[in-house]
Amino acid sequence: MSGMNYKKPGKNRGLGRDASTVDPLGVNSEIGRKLKQYYDELLTPEIPDRFSKLLQELEKHELPQSATEE
Amino acid sequence: MTEPQSFRDGLLAAVPTLRAFAVSLAKNADRADDLVQETLVKAWDKQASFQPGTNLKAWLFTILRNEFYSQMRKRRREVEDSDGAITARLSVHPAQDGSSDLNDFRKALELLPEDQREAIILIGASGFSYEEAAEICGCAVGTIKSRVSRARNRLQEILGITGEGDFGPDPVTAQITSTIVA
Repeated sequence: MSGMNYKKPGKNRGLGRDASTVDPLGVNSEIGRKLKQYYDELLTPEIPDRFSKLLQELEKHELPQSATEE
Repeated sequence: MTEPQSFRDGLLAAVPTLRAFAVSLAKNADRADDLVQETLVKAWDKQASFQPGTNLKAWLFTILRNEFYSQMRKRRREVEDSDGAITARLSVHPAQDGSSDLNDFRKALELLPEDQREAIILIGASGFSYEEAAEICGCAVGTIKSRVSRARNRLQEILGITGEGDFGPDPVTAQITSTIVA
């Protein structure tokens, strides 16, 4: 039979979410929810100075002095 | 040539998510920040190998992850050398102290083997697709899927969560449906 190689629309996936994000860790899963809660707590929006300074330095010296071990 | 300004901005914008991923890998906030720092330096060096328009976040996660594993190997050697098993036990948590519920979850997560922990974080928290996670970890999509599923089962077991079916319908509905079909 030809014409069978296009996917059936998802059956129980009507959550309005993109197919790639529909997974067993979705909103209906307790583990999924806890995982996101855990991660959100780690996601602090402010960026410590050391990183913006580092990038400024890197940009200034196009050739960084560190990390040339290899 | 890429515009250095926008590349830099991209790196800077990725810092929060890189830090979160680093903490979940390293289980230690200070080590995590060192990892992020090393990642930014490496990324800057490899700037030419990044294709603008592709997924910068995934590219950075790959670098961070490689860095983590190479540091871990190094550390393991050092620990063996100095016979100082204590250093390996030093695990400090970030200052934020969430609910005890969340603490339990964090502890459970730490009990997972690294490969499972990273897989479930990438898929369930960092928002990557299975394909992207496979690329980041340098393995097959199927491997990521099975790691995620093992991680989830293990977490459910540790936390005593029961009754969550694998996909779609809950177990009861699934059973009824399969009985009807059969």
